[in-house]
Amino acid sequence: MELGTIFNASLIFSAFRSATPIIYAALCAAITQQADILNIGTEGIMLMGAFMAVAVSYLTGSWILGVAVAMISGLVVATIMAIGNIKFKADICAIGMGINMFALAITKFLLNAWLGKSGSFTDPKIQPIPKVHFAFLEDVPVLGELFNDWCITEWFVIVLIVILWFVFYKTVWGLRLRAVGRMPMAAQTAGINVDAMKYQAIAISGLIGGLAGAHLSLGYSTMFVENMTSSRGFMGVASMYFGGAHPVFTSLGCLIFGFTNSIGTRLQAYGFPNQFMLLMPYVVTIAVLAISMATKKSAEKKRKSSLVTQ
Amino acid sequence: MKKKFDVKSVLNVLLPLVLALAVGAIIILFIGENPIEAYAALIEGAFKGKLRLGTTLAGFTPLLLTSLAFIVAAKAGAFNVGVEGEVLLGGIVAAYIGINWTFLPAPLLIIACFLGAMIVAALWAFIPAALKAYYDVSEVCVTILMNSVALYITNYLVSGPMSAGTTIAESKPVAVTLPKLMMPSALNAGIFIAIVVTIVMIFILQKTSLGTKIRLVGTNPANAEYAGINPKHTFIKAMMISGALGGIAGTIEVLGVHGAFLNNFASGLGNNGMLAALIAKCNVFTAPIISFFIAMLNSGAMRMQQATNVPKSLIDTITAVFIIFACMELIGNLKKRAAKKAEEKK
Repeated sequence: MELGTIFNASLIFSAFRSATPIIYAALCAAITQQADILNIGTEGIMLMGAFMAVAVSYLTGSWILGVAVAMISGLVVATIMAIGNIKFKADICAIGMGINMFALAITKFLLNAWLGKSGSFTDPKIQPIPKVHFAFLEDVPVLGELFNDWCITEWFVIVLIVILWFVFYKTVWGLRLRAVGRMPMAAQTAGINVDAMKYQAIAISGLIGGLAGAHLSLGYSTMFVENMTSSRGFMGVASMYFGGAHPVFTSLGCLIFGFTNSIGTRLQAYGFPNQFMLLMPYVVTIAVLAISMATKKSAEKKRKSSLVTQ
Repeated sequence: MKKKFDVKSVLNVLLPLVLALAVGAIIILFIGENPIEAYAALIEGAFKGKLRLGTTLAGFTPLLLTSLAFIVAAKAGAFNVGVEGEVLLGGIVAAYIGINWTFLPAPLLIIACFLGAMIVAALWAFIPAALKAYYDVSEVCVTILMNSVALYITNYLVSGPMSAGTTIAESKPVAVTLPKLMMPSALNAGIFIAIVVTIVMIFILQKTSLGTKIRLVGTNPANAEYAGINPKHTFIKAMMISGALGGIAGTIEVLGVHGAFLNNFASGLGNNGMLAALIAKCNVFTAPIISFFIAMLNSGAMRMQQATNVPKSLIDTITAVFIIFACMELIGNLKKRAAKKAEEKK
C-alpha cells in the first residue's frame, strides 16, 4: 500500500466533493436549530429534492428548472412539518420521522407511477448541473487539479456558508432568530413574532434542503436511486450538533466525514472488505459527535464550577 | 389504573386514518384507478384464505415487538429509531448460535438463541443510551447512524464468514426452527412468544417499580432524581430492554420465518414498529391494534398491486401520511376552535 496514492492533492477535492451534500444538509439543519427546532426531517426534505430535481431535469431538459422545483418541493415538505409542529403541536422528532418516511415512500411511488421505473432511474436526457472550468488553471499543476471542474453548486455552498454566517450573526433577522431559539418567551416579550420566525426558519431550511437534494442527484451524481440520501441528512444533523449550528464549524465537521468517505473508497482498492469502508463514515460521525458533545459538557461544567468558587 | 380507552384517544387515531386513506384514494384516482376496488383488493389480500391471513399474522408478529421496543424506550424519554439495527444484530446472533451450537438439545438451543440475541441487541442499544445519558448526544442521530452500521456488519458476515455460499447473501440454515402454523404461510409459534412478551412488558410497565421508575424518568427526570431514582441508569435500562425486545423480534424472524439469516431481512420492521408506536401515541394497549393494521396494509399491498395497477409503494405513502396526521393534535385543536366559535357567537 502506498500512502502517496491515498493521500494526495486530489483527496482534498474528493473529500470536499463527498462532503458537499452533507454540508447542505447540515446548513438546512443549522437554520432551524438556531430557532431551537431539531430538523430531523432534513433527510426527507433532501430526498424529495433529489427526486424532483432528476424528474424535472429529465422531463424539461433544464437543470435550472430541476433545481428550482427541487427547492420548491423542499419548501412544501418543510411547510407540512412546520404546520404540524407549530400549529398542531406535533412532536418534532415524530413528525420529522414521519416526513422522512413520507419522502421515502412518495419518491418510490412516483418513481413507479410517474417515471415507470423501480429501484433507480438514470437516463442520458437528465441534464446535470454544469461544471465550472477555468481555462487559465489548466496548466497550473496543483491548482488546476484542485479547483477545476467544480460543480456550480459546489462553489455555491461556500457562498452559502458565508451568507448564513452573515445572516445569523450580523443581521437583525439572525439576532431575532437566535433570540427565539434561546428563549422564546423573552423574544415574544421583546415584540418578536415567535411562530412567524419559526415558520420562516423552517421554510428557508426547506429551500436549502431541496437544494441539497438537487445537488446530490444532479451535481454529485446524475441519477436517482431509492433512498439515495442514505442517512446523509442525519450526518448533516450530527455535524450541526458538532458545530453548534455555527455555519463555518458545522461545515468543517462535514469535511471530516467527507474525508473518511474518500479515504474509505481509496482503501477499498487494497482488499479491505467493502462493507467496512462503507460503515466508516457512520462510525466516525458517531465518534466525533460523542467526543464533541462530551468536551462541550465538561467545558460547561468547568464554567459552572468556576462560577461557584468565585 | 385510569381507563385507557377514552373517546378522544380513539378519535385521535380514527381521524388521521380516515384522512390518510382519503389522501391515498385521491392519489389512486390521480393515476386513473378505482380507489374502492384497490382498497377492496387490499383487504382481500390481507385476509382471504389461510395463506394470506397467515402472512398478515406473520407480519404482525415482529411489528408487535418492535412497536413495544419503541414504546419502552419512549416511556423513559428516548426516541429510539435504532430498533431495526437491534433486530438485525439479534437475528445474526440467533443465526450464529442456531447454526454452530448444535451440541445443545433443541429446546435449550432455542433458548440460547433468544438469550444470545437479547444480550447482544441490548448491548447495542446500550451505546446510544449511555451517550445520551452521560454526554447528552442526540439518540435519534446516533441510533439512525447505528442502523446503517448494523446493516453493514451483518451484510459483511452473511456475505463473508457466515455465508451459505449461494449467490444470495444469506447464512446456512439454522439447526432448530420454531414450529410453523397455518402452512404454507410464514406464520410460526413466534406469535405466541410475541404475545406473551407483550403481556409481560405491559405488566412490567404498569405494575412494577421498574415500570414506574421508567415512566417517572420519562416524564420528569429532575423529579425522579429527587425521588431517589437514578435517571441515567433507568434511562439506560429502558433502552437496553428496548434493544432486547428488538433482539427477540430478530430471533423470531430468523428461527421462525426464514430459517436462516437473510441479508437486510429487517428492512422496514423497525420503522413500521416505530410508526405503530407513534400513531398509538406510545399507548401499550392501542399499539398492538395499530401494528396489526399496518401488518394488514403491508400484506394486502401485493394483492392490490396485482389486482389493480396501483404500485404497492402507495401503501408506504398512506402509512407515512397516517403518521404525519396522527402525531398532530387534530382533535384538541378542533375542539378549541369549536369552543372559540361558540364564544364568538355569544
